[in-house]
Amino acid sequence: MALIVDNLAIHGSEGVLLRPASFTLQPGRPLVLLGETGSGKSLLAQAVMGVLPPGLTATGRIVLDGQNLLAMAPRARRALWGRRIAMLPQEPWAALDPSMRAAAQVEEVDRLVHRRSAAEARQRSAARLDRLGLAGAGRRYPFQLSGGMNQRVALAATEAAGAGLLIADEPTKGLDAALRDTAGALLRAEAEAGRMLLVITHDVALARLLGGDALVMLAGAVIEAGPLPGLLAAPRHDYTRRLIAAEPARWPRWTPRPAGRPIVEAAGLRKRLGGQELFGGLDLGIAEGQVTAIAGRSGGGKTSLGNLLLGLLRPDAGSVRRAGWVAPFGLQKLYQDPLAGFAPQQRLGHGLQELQRRHGLDAAAAQRLLPRLKLAPALLARRPAEVSGGELQRFGLLRALLLAPALLFADEATSRLDPLTQQEIMALLGESVAERNMALLVVTHETALAEAVAGQVIRLGGGERAMA
Amino acid sequence: MIRLRKKRLLGAGLLAAVAGFALLGPLHGIDPLRQDLSAALQPPGAAHPLGTDHLGRDLLARLAAGARLSFGFALLAALVSAGTGTLLGLLAALRGGWAERLLLGLADAVQALPALLLVVLVTAFAPGEFLPLYLGVALALWVDFFRIARNTAASVLARPQVEAARLLGFGPGHLLRRHLWPEVAPLVATLFAFAAGTAVTTVAALAFIGVGARPPVPEWGSMMTELLPYYAEAPLALLLPALLIFLTVLGLHLLAGRERG
Repeated sequence: MALIVDNLAIHGSEGVLLRPASFTLQPGRPLVLLGETGSGKSLLAQAVMGVLPPGLTATGRIVLDGQNLLAMAPRARRALWGRRIAMLPQEPWAALDPSMRAAAQVEEVDRLVHRRSAAEARQRSAARLDRLGLAGAGRRYPFQLSGGMNQRVALAATEAAGAGLLIADEPTKGLDAALRDTAGALLRAEAEAGRMLLVITHDVALARLLGGDALVMLAGAVIEAGPLPGLLAAPRHDYTRRLIAAEPARWPRWTPRPAGRPIVEAAGLRKRLGGQELFGGLDLGIAEGQVTAIAGRSGGGKTSLGNLLLGLLRPDAGSVRRAGWVAPFGLQKLYQDPLAGFAPQQRLGHGLQELQRRHGLDAAAAQRLLPRLKLAPALLARRPAEVSGGELQRFGLLRALLLAPALLFADEATSRLDPLTQQEIMALLGESVAERNMALLVVTHETALAEAVAGQVIRLGGGERAMA
Repeated sequence: MIRLRKKRLLGAGLLAAVAGFALLGPLHGIDPLRQDLSAALQPPGAAHPLGTDHLGRDLLARLAAGARLSFGFALLAALVSAGTGTLLGLLAALRGGWAERLLLGLADAVQALPALLLVVLVTAFAPGEFLPLYLGVALALWVDFFRIARNTAASVLARPQVEAARLLGFGPGHLLRRHLWPEVAPLVATLFAFAAGTAVTTVAALAFIGVGARPPVPEWGSMMTELLPYYAEAPLALLLPALLIFLTVLGLHLLAGRERG
């Protein structure tokens, strides 16, 4: 049993999207495809699965257990799904049926794929859930389970199909550090149980957890390959080195600056959401030049706290006082989804002009900031959805900086971006703090990031709660 | 998508045909009110291309005049109700508070009454006149526009895009132009076509039961009332106004279909 990929190349109408790549995947030894958005790693996985977007063609050979998949008819390839090749969905809570109990979603695989009787399916799926530590969760619906638990339900369903080859696409997207470790351990256990495991990720920490072999991809080509963790300990290619250095845990710590005038003071803050107390009796002050991080697990009220400080939300108890010297629009915000900050139909340049008109700003100020934030003037003619996430986030920063904010609230502003882009945006934020003596409030689920940048770290939330 | 475009083309074609009929009808130069009892209930012929009614009036001239009345009326009533309803809906979503509650209550109250009854009530103040009829129909139709505009606007206002715009210092004018209007406008346009169709049938139905347009005014609904007793002798004469109503409303509804996303 093995997957052999031999000189696999992918072509589109604009040329080569993946230059010839070869590798062998054996049961029990995971293979990690490491790279950023647009590096071709997802295309490679799609070619193995047989779900390349229309218009793209694959050449070379993909041999699974002696059968060349590329030579097979689409219908015959689809027949392999679930039984021989399975794909663990990205963001499993979105892939599960929200109106179906967890156990039923696993049972139906046994019943429909393997044609087992209802009683037998029930028994098998109960055992499966048990083994994944979900003994009590079978009767619950996905929305009653945490993100990590949902991921395990999806894994149980994928497992039930019994495929020898398991493909996981960005399995840790949006998970905090603790959940990422759990997901990594689960996947490794799959490999150790004798499955072939192919994992696609930009998360260096996950690669380290999984072990096995890694292929590093950049711009449609494999640039480095080798066993883990050796490859990460001694990277040969410059890009691999940068990718590893982009892990927040390896960032140099920002030097704390002396605190200036206070900007917002909060006292005795309490906020409840959905009948549960997010936090209570919280005192917090933010002053000029300070970098404050709010860290903690998903759903713990991090964003709510930031919004309270900005006055976008009212506390259930306690008070938030804004210093008198702060300008009316002196508190600004960057969003987790960069698109969330922009009018979807409006060209970026036009939006910028409106902002300048609204506040009587000098157009030269924006012109000076563009190169500073590495933004090409040509981007001004585009709409928000037509630029990359990193570019749009930098554009959001530019807009905020034009208003000379006293405090900038970065709400998970880099969590959807590739590691190198994340590092770049955070560095720009750090420079802005140093140059303008503004305060920065960072909300993040990555403890390492919080510790690297902030002088003051607030941790929210305790135990695991439903829904990540 | 292509099928949808074809449907809309067909709808536009139907409306253009009805409009062309309304505009070209008078060209053949017969007064829609001129009676000629010696030529009553004639089948289509050289002198009267579509025949005559029970008073010998030319049907082509009357149907064309009716088209102008019904069509113009429907557009006007839909326009007034769309304008009022959309404006109030946006206002309610933006202002919130007591203004929103008041308007919502008003909308509920209007919708609690059957639309036809409402129009009849308003028309009762001045029987046979057209202005109360416009008002009555508009009064029944604005609620749909109000609800669509208010609910869409409320969901848009809850988006982070709006929060971001407010943080950057933009006021309601900007929110309206950049965030609310692009979302609300296509829905209002669709609803407008449906509302115009409803206005056509409402006025015809009212005229048929003797409210609103009255003989001898050439209106499709009142023409049907007049011609009903002569159904056996001249079925075509009764069928024609009904067919025109059908084609007009069908055209409007086909036009209202639009691509999603």
